[in-house]
Amino acid sequence: MPINTFTNEEIDLDSLPKYEEISLNKPHSDYWKIICINLFICLVIGGIAIGLALTFFTWVKPYAIVICFMYLLVIFFLFVIFWISFKKRGYAIRTRDVIYKSGIIAESTTIVPLNRIQHIELNEGIFSRMFKLGTLQIFTAGGQTGHLHIAGIPIEEAKSIRDLLLNKLESIQDTIVKQEL
Amino acid sequence: MERDFSKPQRESAVGIVVMAVHTILKVVKALFFFIIYAFVKIDGVYLSYILLALAILILLCLIYGYFWYLKFTFFLNKEKQEFVVNKGIFNRDQVIIQLDKIQQVNINQNILQKIIGVYGLKIDTAGAKGEEVSIKAIDEISAYNLKEHLLSKKETSVERVSEIDEKLIPTNETPLLRISSWTLFKVGLTSNYGQSLALMIAFFLYTIQEARHIMDVFDIDKGYVESTVMGLATLFSLAIIVVILLVALLIINLVRTFYKYFELEISQHKHSLLLSSGLIAKKSTLISQGKVQITKYSQNYFQKKLNILNMSLRQAQFGQSKKEDEMQGNILEIVGCSPLERDELLKIIFGRPLAQGKTFKPDWRFLNLPVFFKIVLPLFIFLIAAYNIPELNPYIGVSITYFVIGIFMIYLSYRRHRISVNRDFIIKTSGIWDISKEIILPGKIQAITTFQYPWHKNIDVGHLTLHTAAGQIQFKYGNYSEIKQLVNYWLYQLESKNENWM
Repeated sequence: MPINTFTNEEIDLDSLPKYEEISLNKPHSDYWKIICINLFICLVIGGIAIGLALTFFTWVKPYAIVICFMYLLVIFFLFVIFWISFKKRGYAIRTRDVIYKSGIIAESTTIVPLNRIQHIELNEGIFSRMFKLGTLQIFTAGGQTGHLHIAGIPIEEAKSIRDLLLNKLESIQDTIVKQEL
Repeated sequence: MERDFSKPQRESAVGIVVMAVHTILKVVKALFFFIIYAFVKIDGVYLSYILLALAILILLCLIYGYFWYLKFTFFLNKEKQEFVVNKGIFNRDQVIIQLDKIQQVNINQNILQKIIGVYGLKIDTAGAKGEEVSIKAIDEISAYNLKEHLLSKKETSVERVSEIDEKLIPTNETPLLRISSWTLFKVGLTSNYGQSLALMIAFFLYTIQEARHIMDVFDIDKGYVESTVMGLATLFSLAIIVVILLVALLIINLVRTFYKYFELEISQHKHSLLLSSGLIAKKSTLISQGKVQITKYSQNYFQKKLNILNMSLRQAQFGQSKKEDEMQGNILEIVGCSPLERDELLKIIFGRPLAQGKTFKPDWRFLNLPVFFKIVLPLFIFLIAAYNIPELNPYIGVSITYFVIGIFMIYLSYRRHRISVNRDFIIKTSGIWDISKEIILPGKIQAITTFQYPWHKNIDVGHLTLHTAAGQIQFKYGNYSEIKQLVNYWLYQLESKNENWM
């Protein structure tokens, strides 16, 4: 394998493309509905559990108002947190890498170069299918934290991204093999 | 000397014995307490039945070993560059390993194998499931022969046979590095205190548990034993016990070091390094330099005075399913090398001498969280408790020492937290007592994460994580503009060429 083909001249760091200035695509607005449906189901189950507890355990009854109030507070916070996390998400596909931004308090940006992708998965849940959305998962050899999990992409777009990435992966593999031979 | 591995072949016939003993050991391990219990509790009449059962068990294991030997075949498919293993007595299993997916090949010899005069060979792959092959009985020449075959890629298969022959016998070469017993002694005294301590505690807990078991079996009066132990404890003063424990710790450390690293040797082959060490079971590992993901070396104060340091080479780890034991195989430790030998090794691994680049320091806010959570909060809780419980008052002096030492340690960790970057290397320095340097090539980066808390936006402070196939490298509280610039630079390096990182 030829180790160095590039010349050893000074690189102007400011002239390099800047990942932080890329405008990111937001998840589809329907994805918020899916988050709400999922949250709603969880909350209903939680509510039923609390209701059962209140009716069957007599010693809980005096605290009924406090419990209900706390539960409402939890619901409120959950919705706020999910709303913030929904708003902060963003992704971009550049010619040579994939960028994903997320976070509730801290903003974290992960960049995966295309030539480091191991494999790609496209998932569709039940509710996602109703809204024609999909989740794209991009795996690297960098362990759990090096994976990208991009939810709420319109399914057509997700499929075309997947095909695009797969094509690039194949061509990259070919060049590596050629370099080695 | 050249063996042909292209046709399916079996192991050495003595493999039957190795496999049988292996199985017997497994069974005995599983039934250990049952067997002891049976011998102690059951009358003489049944004893003969138990002995008979054991004899049958051994016979069954031998038969198992025989069939296993019959069904276990392996061969090398040169055209497809695959190593194929067929095995399984009841079900047919076929394991196919592509040669370029092989991480490392280990040749081991345990006591039994040493007596019989065969070797064990283990193949570690980069498969997501961590599937691996182990051949339990193979003669020495075939083992080394096969190892070379497995680790030689397309380039080497074109080479002349005579050339391969030359580098086959590792004993003829002068090793690159050899660690003497005296150096090992120094290493044993100065490193791995934490691990040995954990081992000692685990051993104590295990003994106590087992002692209970045995007492249950033999109906020994527990109260009596406990009172004797307590009596012994009061006999010695606390200081003496502490000294004894410290000496025990050092001895355990020394024994462990000698057991693992006795006669540690490294020799260089065409595309790889051969490491061998071990007191009772000699273990040798062949790895290709290109597959090393993170190279690390560390040194503490004592080691600096003695002019030694410990190195470790980390290879890619795949999947979480691999057991702790196997994960260890991905980290190769080279203890007790001198700075000169380190530079020599680094040069071989990277192909060029290590060079420091521009160094980046963290912001002083690095201190905030550790000082708060490790010093201020515990002390605050303690002082409130001491205020309310008079018995704690004498210990307030201790809390002051804790405060001073704690602040000092956190300050040290802040001073040591550095990342140095140039065109070829990324070097991360960290540590309080053991100061370690982790070195990666930019080409080994798999993904990059940057993140920032909103309250750090104005002062331009942020964090960086580099994901590699052998773990993460983090740099915290750096200048965020500089971090972004670095990320763009690394992305440029990664994406402008399709380097093979494996």
